[in-house]
Amino acid sequence: MNYFLHIFIIFCMYIPPALGFNLVFGKGKLLHFGQVALGIAGVYGMWAPFMLFGVPFFVSLAIGAVCVLLMALILAWLSFRLDTDGLGVMSIALHLAMLAIVLNSDSLTRGALGIPGIPRPHVLQSLPAYALLCAMIAAGWIIFILFLERGTFGRALQALAENPWHAEGLGVSRRRVHTIAFMVSALGALITNILFAPYIALLSPSDYGFPAMILYVMMVVAGGPGRVWGVVLSTFCLIFLHEGLRFLSLPAEMIGPMRLLTFGIILLVAVCLRRDTLFPAERTV
Amino acid sequence: MQLFFNGLIAGSLAALIAGGLALVYGTLGVFNLALGQMVLVGGYATWWLYQSVGLPLPLSIVGGLAIGVVTSWVAFEIFIRPFYKRHRFLPLVTTISLSMILDALILLLFEERPKSILSGTQNMRTLYGASISTEQILLILMTFLLLLLFAYVLHGTAFGRRLRAVTQNDTAAMSLGIRAFALHRLIFIGSGILAACAGIFIGIDQNLAPLLAFPLTIKAYAAVIAGGKGNFWGAVLCAYCIAFLEQIVVGVHWFNRFYVPVGYQATVALTFIIVFLLFKPAGIFGSASRTA
Repeated sequence: MNYFLHIFIIFCMYIPPALGFNLVFGKGKLLHFGQVALGIAGVYGMWAPFMLFGVPFFVSLAIGAVCVLLMALILAWLSFRLDTDGLGVMSIALHLAMLAIVLNSDSLTRGALGIPGIPRPHVLQSLPAYALLCAMIAAGWIIFILFLERGTFGRALQALAENPWHAEGLGVSRRRVHTIAFMVSALGALITNILFAPYIALLSPSDYGFPAMILYVMMVVAGGPGRVWGVVLSTFCLIFLHEGLRFLSLPAEMIGPMRLLTFGIILLVAVCLRRDTLFPAERTV
Repeated sequence: MQLFFNGLIAGSLAALIAGGLALVYGTLGVFNLALGQMVLVGGYATWWLYQSVGLPLPLSIVGGLAIGVVTSWVAFEIFIRPFYKRHRFLPLVTTISLSMILDALILLLFEERPKSILSGTQNMRTLYGASISTEQILLILMTFLLLLLFAYVLHGTAFGRRLRAVTQNDTAAMSLGIRAFALHRLIFIGSGILAACAGIFIGIDQNLAPLLAFPLTIKAYAAVIAGGKGNFWGAVLCAYCIAFLEQIVVGVHWFNRFYVPVGYQATVALTFIIVFLLFKPAGIFGSASRTA
Protein backbone atom coordinates (compact mmCIF):
# COMPACT_ATOMS: atom_id res chain seq x y z
CA MET A 1 0.00 0.00 0.00
CA ASN A 2 2.82 2.36 0.94
CA TYR A 3 4.48 1.68 -2.39
CA PHE A 4 1.36 2.71 -4.34
CA LEU A 5 1.07 5.79 -2.14
CA HIS A 6 4.71 6.58 -2.97
CA ILE A 7 4.01 6.28 -6.72
CA PHE A 8 0.93 8.48 -6.30
CA ILE A 9 2.99 11.15 -4.48
CA ILE A 10 5.68 11.13 -7.17
CA PHE A 11 2.99 11.34 -9.87
CA CYS A 12 1.37 14.34 -8.17
CA MET A 13 4.75 16.04 -7.80
CA TYR A 14 5.45 15.66 -11.50
CA ILE A 15 2.14 17.26 -12.51
CA PRO A 16 3.09 20.98 -12.06
CA PRO A 17 6.38 20.92 -14.04
CA ALA A 18 5.00 18.50 -16.66
CA LEU A 19 1.97 20.71 -17.33
CA GLY A 20 4.16 23.82 -17.21
CA PHE A 21 6.49 22.27 -19.78
CA ASN A 22 3.46 21.21 -21.82
CA LEU A 23 2.30 24.83 -21.88
CA VAL A 24 5.60 26.05 -23.38
CA PHE A 25 6.64 23.05 -25.49
CA GLY A 26 3.31 21.40 -26.30
CA LYS A 27 0.96 24.35 -26.63
CA GLY A 28 3.42 27.15 -27.45
CA LYS A 29 5.62 24.94 -29.73
CA LEU A 30 8.72 26.51 -28.20
CA LEU A 31 11.38 23.86 -28.52
CA HIS A 32 13.13 24.32 -25.21
CA PHE A 33 14.75 21.69 -23.01
CA GLY A 34 15.38 23.91 -20.01
CA GLN A 35 12.65 22.66 -17.65
CA VAL A 36 15.16 20.89 -15.39
CA ALA A 37 17.47 23.93 -15.46
CA LEU A 38 14.50 25.85 -13.98
CA GLY A 39 14.21 23.15 -11.33
CA ILE A 40 17.92 23.36 -10.46
CA ALA A 41 17.73 27.15 -10.08
CA GLY A 42 14.66 26.87 -7.83
CA VAL A 43 15.70 23.94 -5.69
CA TYR A 44 19.26 25.10 -4.97
CA GLY A 45 18.16 28.75 -4.69
CA MET A 46 15.77 27.69 -1.94
CA TRP A 47 17.27 24.74 -0.03
CA ALA A 48 20.97 25.72 -0.08
CA PRO A 49 20.43 28.99 1.87
CA PHE A 50 17.99 27.25 4.25
CA MET A 51 20.07 24.15 4.98
CA LEU A 52 23.65 25.39 4.65
CA PHE A 53 23.51 29.03 5.74
CA GLY A 54 20.65 29.06 8.25
CA VAL A 55 18.50 31.54 6.32
CA PRO A 56 14.85 31.53 7.54
CA PHE A 57 12.47 29.31 5.51
CA PHE A 58 10.35 32.04 3.96
CA VAL A 59 13.40 34.14 3.00
CA SER A 60 14.87 31.00 1.37
CA LEU A 61 11.60 30.41 -0.43
CA ALA A 62 11.72 33.98 -1.76
CA ILE A 63 15.34 33.49 -2.91
CA GLY A 64 14.32 30.25 -4.68
CA ALA A 65 11.41 32.02 -6.37
CA VAL A 66 13.67 34.85 -7.56
CA CYS A 67 16.26 32.35 -8.90
CA VAL A 68 13.67 30.31 -10.79
CA LEU A 69 12.01 33.40 -12.27
CA LEU A 70 15.38 34.79 -13.35
CA MET A 71 16.14 31.51 -15.09
CA ALA A 72 12.71 31.69 -16.79
CA LEU A 73 13.55 35.21 -18.01
CA ILE A 74 16.89 34.00 -19.41
CA LEU A 75 15.11 31.18 -21.28
CA ALA A 76 12.48 33.63 -22.55
CA TRP A 77 15.23 36.00 -23.69
CA LEU A 78 16.98 33.14 -25.49
CA SER A 79 13.69 32.25 -27.19
CA PHE A 80 13.33 35.82 -28.50
CA ARG A 81 16.89 35.99 -29.79
CA LEU A 82 17.44 32.50 -31.22
CA ASP A 83 15.41 30.56 -33.73
CA THR A 84 13.64 27.44 -32.54
CA ASP A 85 16.35 24.82 -32.98
CA GLY A 86 19.00 27.19 -31.61
CA LEU A 87 16.83 27.62 -28.51
CA GLY A 88 16.54 23.83 -28.16
CA VAL A 89 20.27 23.28 -28.15
CA MET A 90 21.24 26.32 -26.10
CA SER A 91 18.63 25.49 -23.44
CA ILE A 92 20.37 22.11 -23.07
CA ALA A 93 23.68 23.97 -22.81
CA LEU A 94 22.17 26.13 -20.07
CA HIS A 95 21.03 22.99 -18.22
CA LEU A 96 24.50 21.42 -18.45
CA ALA A 97 26.12 24.69 -17.34
CA MET A 98 23.79 24.91 -14.30
CA LEU A 99 24.52 21.29 -13.38
CA ALA A 100 28.28 21.86 -13.68
CA ILE A 101 28.05 24.91 -11.41
CA VAL A 102 26.14 22.90 -8.80
CA LEU A 103 28.60 19.99 -8.98
CA ASN A 104 31.68 22.19 -8.71
CA SER A 105 30.57 24.76 -6.11
CA ASP A 106 31.20 22.62 -3.04
CA SER A 107 31.11 25.51 -0.59
CA LEU A 108 27.68 26.67 -1.82
CA THR A 109 25.94 23.41 -2.74
CA ARG A 110 28.04 20.54 -1.30
CA GLY A 111 28.66 19.43 -4.91
CA ALA A 112 27.98 15.82 -5.87
CA LEU A 113 27.25 14.86 -2.24
CA GLY A 114 24.02 16.84 -2.31
CA ILE A 115 22.28 18.30 0.72
CA PRO A 116 20.99 15.60 3.13
CA GLY A 117 18.50 15.83 5.96
CA ILE A 118 15.99 18.26 4.46
CA PRO A 119 13.18 18.25 7.06
CA ARG A 120 9.47 17.74 6.50
CA PRO A 121 6.97 19.88 8.42
CA HIS A 122 5.56 18.09 11.52
CA VAL A 123 2.03 17.78 10.10
CA LEU A 124 3.37 16.04 6.97
CA GLN A 125 5.39 13.27 8.62
CA SER A 126 3.00 10.48 7.57
CA LEU A 127 2.76 9.24 3.98
CA PRO A 128 -1.04 9.73 3.64
CA ALA A 129 -0.75 13.34 4.82
CA TYR A 130 1.97 14.03 2.27
CA ALA A 131 -0.09 12.30 -0.45
CA LEU A 132 -3.11 14.43 0.43
CA LEU A 133 -1.11 17.66 0.21
CA CYS A 134 0.47 16.65 -3.12
CA ALA A 135 -2.93 15.62 -4.52
CA MET A 136 -4.45 18.97 -3.55
CA ILE A 137 -1.58 20.88 -5.14
CA ALA A 138 -1.73 18.76 -8.33
CA ALA A 139 -5.51 19.23 -8.60
CA GLY A 140 -5.17 22.98 -8.02
CA TRP A 141 -2.46 23.18 -10.67
CA ILE A 142 -4.55 21.26 -13.24
CA ILE A 143 -7.46 23.66 -12.67
CA PHE A 144 -5.12 26.66 -12.95
CA ILE A 145 -3.62 25.40 -16.24
CA LEU A 146 -7.07 24.57 -17.68
CA PHE A 147 -8.20 28.07 -16.72
CA LEU A 148 -5.13 29.60 -18.40
CA GLU A 149 -5.44 27.50 -21.56
CA ARG A 150 -9.11 28.18 -22.12
CA GLY A 151 -8.77 31.90 -21.57
CA THR A 152 -7.34 34.73 -23.67
CA PHE A 153 -3.81 33.72 -22.78
CA GLY A 154 -4.24 30.16 -24.10
CA ARG A 155 -5.71 31.39 -27.37
CA ALA A 156 -2.90 33.91 -27.79
CA LEU A 157 -0.28 31.22 -27.12
CA GLN A 158 -1.90 28.89 -29.64
CA ALA A 159 -2.15 31.65 -32.24
CA LEU A 160 1.55 32.43 -31.81
CA ALA A 161 2.39 28.74 -32.17
CA GLU A 162 0.41 28.46 -35.39
CA ASN A 163 1.60 31.63 -37.05
CA PRO A 164 3.59 34.26 -35.12
CA TRP A 165 3.35 36.84 -37.90
CA HIS A 166 -0.45 36.67 -38.13
CA ALA A 167 -0.78 36.67 -34.33
CA GLU A 168 1.47 39.73 -33.96
CA GLY A 169 -0.51 41.38 -36.76
CA LEU A 170 -3.67 40.87 -34.69
CA GLY A 171 -2.06 42.56 -31.68
CA VAL A 172 -0.84 39.53 -29.71
CA SER A 173 2.43 40.42 -28.02
CA ARG A 174 4.84 37.51 -28.48
CA ARG A 175 7.19 38.79 -25.81
CA ARG A 176 4.47 39.14 -23.19
CA VAL A 177 2.74 35.81 -23.90
CA HIS A 178 5.92 33.75 -24.11
CA THR A 179 7.41 35.36 -21.01
CA ILE A 180 4.25 34.49 -19.05
CA ALA A 181 4.38 30.92 -20.40
CA PHE A 182 7.97 30.51 -19.20
CA MET A 183 7.04 32.06 -15.83
CA VAL A 184 4.18 29.59 -15.34
CA SER A 185 6.50 26.75 -16.26
CA ALA A 186 9.03 28.06 -13.72
CA LEU A 187 6.37 28.25 -11.03
CA GLY A 188 5.52 24.59 -11.67
CA ALA A 189 9.20 23.67 -11.28
CA LEU A 190 9.41 25.62 -8.02
CA ILE A 191 6.30 23.98 -6.51
CA THR A 192 7.65 20.49 -7.20
CA ASN A 193 11.04 21.33 -5.76
CA ILE A 194 9.51 22.64 -2.54
CA LEU A 195 7.81 19.25 -2.17
CA PHE A 196 10.33 16.76 -3.56
CA ALA A 197 13.48 17.47 -1.52
CA PRO A 198 11.74 17.19 1.92
CA TYR A 199 9.90 14.06 0.71
CA ILE A 200 13.11 12.12 0.09
CA ALA A 201 15.01 14.18 2.73
CA LEU A 202 17.84 14.72 0.23
CA LEU A 203 18.72 17.19 -2.50
CA SER A 204 20.93 15.31 -4.95
CA PRO A 205 22.26 16.72 -8.26
CA SER A 206 21.91 13.26 -9.81
CA ASP A 207 18.12 13.81 -9.85
CA TYR A 208 18.60 16.80 -12.18
CA GLY A 209 20.53 15.27 -15.08
CA PHE A 210 19.39 15.18 -18.71
CA PRO A 211 17.42 11.90 -18.24
CA ALA A 212 15.05 13.91 -16.01
CA MET A 213 14.50 16.33 -18.90
CA ILE A 214 13.86 13.47 -21.31
CA LEU A 215 11.13 12.21 -18.98
CA TYR A 216 9.32 15.57 -19.32
CA VAL A 217 9.66 15.44 -23.12
CA MET A 218 8.20 11.93 -23.10
CA MET A 219 5.29 13.00 -20.90
CA VAL A 220 4.31 15.72 -23.36
CA VAL A 221 4.98 13.74 -26.54
CA ALA A 222 3.17 10.60 -25.31
CA GLY A 223 0.26 12.53 -23.80
CA GLY A 224 -0.31 14.69 -26.86
CA PRO A 225 1.33 18.12 -27.08
CA GLY A 226 -0.92 20.80 -25.61
CA ARG A 227 -3.44 18.31 -24.15
CA VAL A 228 -3.74 18.74 -20.39
CA TRP A 229 -5.52 15.45 -19.59
CA GLY A 230 -3.36 13.53 -22.05
CA VAL A 231 -0.21 14.74 -20.30
CA VAL A 232 -1.68 13.91 -16.88
CA LEU A 233 -2.41 10.35 -18.07
CA SER A 234 1.01 9.90 -19.69
CA THR A 235 2.68 11.26 -16.53
CA PHE A 236 0.88 8.61 -14.48
CA CYS A 237 1.80 5.78 -16.89
CA LEU A 238 5.43 6.84 -17.22
CA ILE A 239 5.95 7.30 -13.47
CA PHE A 240 4.33 3.90 -12.87
CA LEU A 241 6.65 2.33 -15.46
CA HIS A 242 9.69 4.26 -14.20
CA GLU A 243 9.20 3.07 -10.63
CA GLY A 244 7.80 -0.34 -11.61
CA LEU A 245 10.98 -1.35 -13.47
CA ARG A 246 12.62 -1.74 -10.05
CA PHE A 247 10.55 -4.90 -9.57
CA LEU A 248 11.99 -6.75 -12.54
CA SER A 249 14.37 -9.45 -11.36
CA LEU A 250 17.42 -7.84 -12.97
CA PRO A 251 20.88 -7.12 -11.53
CA ALA A 252 21.08 -3.58 -10.10
CA GLU A 253 23.53 -2.39 -12.76
CA MET A 254 21.12 -3.40 -15.54
CA ILE A 255 18.10 -1.47 -14.28
CA GLY A 256 19.40 1.94 -15.47
CA PRO A 257 20.26 0.81 -19.02
CA MET A 258 17.00 -1.19 -19.31
CA ARG A 259 15.07 1.91 -18.25
CA LEU A 260 16.90 3.97 -20.90
CA LEU A 261 16.22 1.33 -23.55
CA THR A 262 12.52 1.01 -22.68
CA PHE A 263 11.97 4.77 -22.53
CA GLY A 264 13.93 5.35 -25.74
CA ILE A 265 11.70 2.90 -27.60
CA ILE A 266 8.55 4.40 -26.02
CA LEU A 267 9.66 7.90 -27.10
CA LEU A 268 10.26 6.74 -30.67
CA VAL A 269 6.89 4.99 -30.85
CA ALA A 270 5.17 8.06 -29.32
CA VAL A 271 6.77 10.37 -31.91
CA CYS A 272 5.74 7.95 -34.69
CA LEU A 273 2.15 8.09 -33.49
CA ARG A 274 2.17 11.87 -32.87
CA ARG A 275 4.22 13.01 -35.85
CA ASP A 276 1.30 14.97 -37.32
CA THR A 277 0.46 16.84 -34.13
CA LEU A 278 3.79 17.20 -32.34
CA PHE A 279 4.97 19.76 -34.84
CA PRO A 280 2.26 20.27 -37.47
CA ALA A 281 3.62 20.09 -41.03
CA GLU A 282 4.61 23.48 -42.39
CA ARG A 283 2.81 24.51 -45.57
CA THR A 284 5.11 24.84 -48.55
CA VAL A 285 4.58 25.84 -52.19
CA MET B 1 52.74 26.87 -25.74
CA GLN B 2 51.31 23.94 -23.78
CA LEU B 3 47.92 25.69 -23.76
CA PHE B 4 48.16 26.17 -27.54
CA PHE B 5 48.85 22.47 -28.16
CA ASN B 6 46.14 21.40 -25.72
CA GLY B 7 43.70 23.67 -27.55
CA LEU B 8 44.82 22.26 -30.89
CA ILE B 9 44.23 18.66 -29.72
CA ALA B 10 40.82 19.39 -28.20
CA GLY B 11 39.90 21.61 -31.17
CA SER B 12 40.83 18.92 -33.69
CA LEU B 13 38.45 16.47 -32.01
CA ALA B 14 35.66 19.03 -31.80
CA ALA B 15 36.22 20.17 -35.41
CA LEU B 16 35.75 16.63 -36.72
CA ILE B 17 32.42 16.26 -34.92
CA ALA B 18 31.18 19.80 -35.60
CA GLY B 19 32.17 19.72 -39.28
CA GLY B 20 30.06 16.64 -39.96
CA LEU B 21 27.23 18.10 -37.97
CA ALA B 22 27.31 21.36 -39.92
CA LEU B 23 27.07 19.45 -43.20
CA VAL B 24 24.08 17.46 -41.96
CA TYR B 25 22.37 20.58 -40.67
CA GLY B 26 23.10 22.51 -43.87
CA THR B 27 21.65 19.87 -46.17
CA LEU B 28 18.97 18.10 -44.11
CA GLY B 29 18.15 20.81 -41.58
CA VAL B 30 18.44 18.09 -38.93
CA PHE B 31 19.92 18.43 -35.47
CA ASN B 32 21.20 15.00 -34.47
CA LEU B 33 21.25 14.86 -30.67
CA ALA B 34 22.65 11.32 -30.72
CA LEU B 35 25.91 12.43 -32.30
CA GLY B 36 27.92 12.01 -29.07
CA GLN B 37 26.70 8.42 -28.80
CA MET B 38 27.64 7.82 -32.46
CA VAL B 39 31.13 9.09 -31.59
CA LEU B 40 31.33 6.58 -28.76
CA VAL B 41 30.06 3.69 -30.94
CA GLY B 42 33.09 4.12 -33.25
CA GLY B 43 35.46 4.28 -30.29
CA TYR B 44 33.99 1.35 -28.37
CA ALA B 45 33.76 -0.82 -31.52
CA THR B 46 37.47 -0.24 -32.17
CA TRP B 47 38.28 -1.00 -28.52
CA TRP B 48 36.29 -4.24 -28.71
CA LEU B 49 37.93 -5.37 -31.96
CA TYR B 50 41.43 -4.52 -30.69
CA GLN B 51 41.27 -5.51 -27.04
CA SER B 52 38.66 -8.32 -26.97
CA VAL B 53 38.74 -9.88 -30.45
CA GLY B 54 42.51 -9.34 -30.78
CA LEU B 55 42.65 -7.90 -34.32
CA PRO B 56 45.64 -5.72 -35.31
CA LEU B 57 45.13 -2.00 -34.63
CA PRO B 58 44.73 -0.84 -38.30
CA LEU B 59 42.15 -3.57 -38.94
CA SER B 60 40.35 -2.67 -35.70
CA ILE B 61 40.18 0.98 -36.78
CA VAL B 62 38.73 -0.02 -40.16
CA GLY B 63 36.25 -2.27 -38.34
CA GLY B 64 35.34 0.57 -35.95
CA LEU B 65 34.71 2.88 -38.90
CA ALA B 66 32.62 0.20 -40.63
CA ILE B 67 30.47 -0.26 -37.51
CA GLY B 68 30.14 3.56 -37.35
CA VAL B 69 28.91 3.56 -40.98
CA VAL B 70 26.35 0.82 -40.32
CA THR B 71 25.12 2.58 -37.15
CA SER B 72 24.67 5.92 -38.90
CA TRP B 73 22.96 4.26 -41.89
CA VAL B 74 20.49 2.39 -39.65
CA ALA B 75 19.99 5.57 -37.60
CA PHE B 76 19.18 7.51 -40.77
CA GLU B 77 16.68 4.93 -42.04
CA ILE B 78 14.80 4.51 -38.74
CA PHE B 79 15.18 7.81 -36.86
CA ILE B 80 15.62 10.46 -39.55
CA ARG B 81 14.17 9.51 -42.95
CA PRO B 82 10.53 8.98 -41.87
CA PHE B 83 10.48 12.34 -40.07
CA TYR B 84 12.78 15.00 -41.49
CA LYS B 85 10.62 15.95 -44.49
CA ARG B 86 7.51 16.08 -42.32
CA HIS B 87 8.89 18.67 -39.92
CA ARG B 88 12.52 19.53 -39.32
CA PHE B 89 12.13 19.52 -35.52
CA LEU B 90 10.78 15.95 -35.35
CA PRO B 91 14.27 14.40 -35.78
CA LEU B 92 15.43 16.46 -32.81
CA VAL B 93 13.07 14.41 -30.63
CA THR B 94 13.65 11.08 -32.42
CA THR B 95 17.41 11.45 -32.08
CA ILE B 96 16.91 11.94 -28.33
CA SER B 97 15.34 8.47 -28.33
CA LEU B 98 18.25 7.18 -30.44
CA SER B 99 20.69 8.64 -27.91
CA MET B 100 18.87 6.83 -25.08
CA ILE B 101 18.92 3.51 -26.95
CA LEU B 102 22.62 3.81 -27.87
CA ASP B 103 23.47 4.90 -24.30
CA ALA B 104 21.65 1.84 -22.96
CA LEU B 105 23.40 -0.52 -25.39
CA ILE B 106 26.83 0.98 -24.59
CA LEU B 107 26.17 0.60 -20.85
CA LEU B 108 24.92 -2.99 -21.27
CA LEU B 109 27.78 -4.08 -23.55
CA PHE B 110 30.75 -2.11 -22.20
CA GLU B 111 29.72 -1.00 -18.67
CA GLU B 112 30.49 2.37 -17.10
CA ARG B 113 34.24 1.90 -16.50
CA PRO B 114 36.50 4.01 -18.76
CA LYS B 115 38.15 2.12 -21.61
CA SER B 116 41.29 2.99 -23.53
CA ILE B 117 42.12 1.47 -26.92
CA LEU B 118 45.89 1.57 -26.29
CA SER B 119 46.45 0.24 -22.80
CA GLY B 120 50.18 1.12 -22.49
CA THR B 121 51.70 4.52 -21.62
CA GLN B 122 51.94 7.07 -24.40
CA ASN B 123 55.23 8.05 -26.04
CA MET B 124 55.65 11.70 -24.92
CA ARG B 125 58.01 14.20 -26.59
CA THR B 126 58.82 17.88 -26.17
CA LEU B 127 57.86 20.28 -28.97
CA TYR B 128 58.60 24.03 -28.62
CA GLY B 129 58.70 23.56 -24.85
CA ALA B 130 55.34 21.77 -24.71
CA SER B 131 54.77 18.13 -23.86
CA ILE B 132 52.84 16.20 -26.52
CA SER B 133 52.45 12.51 -27.42
CA THR B 134 53.01 10.95 -30.86
CA GLU B 135 49.35 9.93 -30.96
CA GLN B 136 48.29 13.53 -30.34
CA ILE B 137 50.52 14.82 -33.15
CA LEU B 138 48.97 12.19 -35.42
CA LEU B 139 45.48 13.27 -34.30
CA ILE B 140 46.19 16.91 -35.20
CA LEU B 141 47.72 16.00 -38.58
CA MET B 142 44.94 13.53 -39.46
CA THR B 143 42.28 16.12 -38.67
CA PHE B 144 43.99 18.66 -40.92
CA LEU B 145 44.25 16.03 -43.66
CA LEU B 146 40.58 15.07 -43.32
CA LEU B 147 39.53 18.73 -43.38
CA LEU B 148 41.70 19.36 -46.46
CA LEU B 149 40.14 16.32 -48.14
CA PHE B 150 36.69 17.66 -47.29
CA ALA B 151 37.64 21.09 -48.65
CA TYR B 152 38.79 19.49 -51.91
CA VAL B 153 35.66 17.34 -52.25
CA LEU B 154 33.38 20.26 -51.36
CA HIS B 155 34.94 22.90 -53.56
CA GLY B 156 36.93 21.05 -56.24
CA THR B 157 34.76 18.16 -57.47
CA ALA B 158 31.46 17.70 -59.31
CA PHE B 159 30.18 15.77 -56.28
CA GLY B 160 30.97 18.78 -54.06
CA ARG B 161 29.07 21.08 -56.44
CA ARG B 162 26.05 18.78 -56.22
CA LEU B 163 26.40 18.76 -52.46
CA ARG B 164 26.48 22.55 -52.27
CA ALA B 165 23.53 22.78 -54.67
CA VAL B 166 21.47 20.51 -52.41
CA THR B 167 22.57 22.56 -49.37
CA GLN B 168 21.39 25.80 -50.99
CA ASN B 169 18.07 24.53 -52.40
CA ASP B 170 17.30 20.84 -52.61
CA THR B 171 14.08 21.29 -54.63
CA ALA B 172 15.89 23.30 -57.32
CA ALA B 173 18.76 20.80 -57.24
CA MET B 174 16.31 17.90 -57.79
CA SER B 175 14.76 19.71 -60.75
CA LEU B 176 18.26 19.73 -62.29
CA GLY B 177 18.51 15.95 -61.95
CA ILE B 178 20.48 15.74 -58.69
CA ARG B 179 19.34 12.85 -56.49
CA ALA B 180 18.95 14.94 -53.34
CA PHE B 181 17.55 12.14 -51.15
CA ALA B 182 20.47 9.83 -51.92
CA LEU B 183 22.85 12.69 -51.11
CA HIS B 184 21.05 13.30 -47.80
CA ARG B 185 21.68 9.68 -46.81
CA LEU B 186 25.31 9.90 -47.95
CA ILE B 187 25.93 13.10 -45.99
CA PHE B 188 24.43 11.63 -42.83
CA ILE B 189 26.64 8.57 -43.17
CA GLY B 190 29.61 10.89 -43.88
CA SER B 191 28.97 12.73 -40.61
CA GLY B 192 28.77 9.31 -38.92
CA ILE B 193 32.23 8.44 -40.31
CA LEU B 194 33.68 11.71 -38.97
CA ALA B 195 32.01 10.99 -35.62
CA ALA B 196 33.48 7.45 -35.56
CA CYS B 197 36.95 8.93 -36.36
CA ALA B 198 36.54 11.28 -33.39
CA GLY B 199 35.53 8.34 -31.17
CA ILE B 200 38.62 6.37 -32.22
CA PHE B 201 40.80 9.41 -31.49
CA ILE B 202 39.24 9.73 -28.03
CA GLY B 203 39.82 6.03 -27.40
CA ILE B 204 43.47 6.28 -28.42
CA ASP B 205 44.32 9.61 -26.76
CA GLN B 206 42.12 9.47 -23.62
CA ASN B 207 39.49 7.13 -22.20
CA LEU B 208 36.08 6.20 -23.56
CA ALA B 209 33.23 6.62 -21.07
CA PRO B 210 29.44 6.69 -21.62
CA LEU B 211 29.16 10.05 -19.81
CA LEU B 212 31.26 11.75 -22.50
CA ALA B 213 28.52 11.55 -25.13
CA PHE B 214 26.23 14.39 -24.21
CA PRO B 215 28.81 17.13 -23.54
CA LEU B 216 30.45 16.21 -26.87
CA THR B 217 27.15 16.72 -28.69
CA ILE B 218 26.36 20.01 -27.01
CA LYS B 219 29.84 21.46 -27.60
CA ALA B 220 29.62 20.49 -31.27
CA TYR B 221 26.21 22.15 -31.52
CA ALA B 222 27.47 25.27 -29.81
CA ALA B 223 30.19 25.43 -32.50
CA VAL B 224 27.65 24.88 -35.31
CA ILE B 225 25.29 27.57 -34.00
CA ALA B 226 28.05 30.07 -33.19
CA GLY B 227 29.62 29.49 -36.61
CA GLY B 228 26.39 30.28 -38.44
CA LYS B 229 24.17 27.24 -38.83
CA GLY B 230 25.06 24.98 -41.77
CA ASN B 231 28.34 26.80 -42.43
CA PHE B 232 30.97 24.02 -42.51
CA TRP B 233 34.02 26.25 -42.13
CA GLY B 234 32.29 28.46 -39.54
CA ALA B 235 31.59 25.36 -37.42
CA VAL B 236 35.18 24.11 -37.74
CA LEU B 237 36.59 27.53 -36.80
CA CYS B 238 34.25 27.86 -33.80
CA ALA B 239 35.10 24.32 -32.63
CA TYR B 240 38.74 25.37 -32.44
CA CYS B 241 37.77 28.69 -30.77
CA ILE B 242 35.71 26.90 -28.07
CA ALA B 243 38.56 24.45 -27.43
CA PHE B 244 41.11 27.26 -27.09
CA LEU B 245 38.70 29.18 -24.84
CA GLU B 246 38.33 26.13 -22.57
CA GLN B 247 42.10 25.75 -22.31
CA ILE B 248 42.69 29.46 -21.64
CA VAL B 249 39.97 29.60 -18.96
CA VAL B 250 41.57 26.91 -16.82
CA GLY B 251 45.20 27.35 -17.86
CA VAL B 252 45.73 31.05 -17.17
CA HIS B 253 46.65 32.35 -13.71
CA TRP B 254 44.00 35.09 -13.66
CA PHE B 255 45.22 38.47 -12.32
CA ASN B 256 48.08 36.51 -10.69
CA ARG B 257 45.55 35.52 -8.01
CA PHE B 258 43.58 32.40 -8.91
CA TYR B 259 43.05 29.55 -11.36
CA VAL B 260 39.55 28.65 -12.54
CA PRO B 261 38.85 25.03 -11.38
CA VAL B 262 38.88 22.44 -14.19
CA GLY B 263 35.26 21.53 -13.41
CA TYR B 264 34.15 24.90 -14.79
CA GLN B 265 36.01 24.45 -18.09
CA ALA B 266 33.01 23.48 -20.24
CA THR B 267 30.61 25.72 -18.29
CA VAL B 268 32.58 28.90 -18.99
CA ALA B 269 32.84 28.09 -22.70
CA LEU B 270 29.12 27.26 -23.01
CA THR B 271 28.11 30.34 -21.05
CA PHE B 272 30.31 32.47 -23.29
CA ILE B 273 28.59 31.01 -26.39
CA ILE B 274 25.12 31.60 -24.87
CA VAL B 275 25.97 35.25 -24.10
CA PHE B 276 27.56 35.68 -27.54
CA LEU B 277 24.42 34.30 -29.24
CA LEU B 278 22.19 36.61 -27.23
CA PHE B 279 23.94 39.53 -28.93
CA LYS B 280 24.60 37.89 -32.32
CA PRO B 281 21.93 35.19 -32.74
CA ALA B 282 22.90 34.28 -36.31
CA GLY B 283 26.44 33.35 -35.26
CA ILE B 284 29.72 34.62 -36.73
CA PHE B 285 29.10 33.76 -40.38
CA GLY B 286 25.30 33.48 -40.45
CA SER B 287 22.90 36.10 -41.74
CA ALA B 288 20.09 37.34 -39.53
CA SER B 289 16.54 36.17 -40.28
CA ARG B 290 13.37 38.09 -39.51
CA THR B 291 11.15 36.91 -36.69
CA ALA B 292 7.77 38.07 -35.48
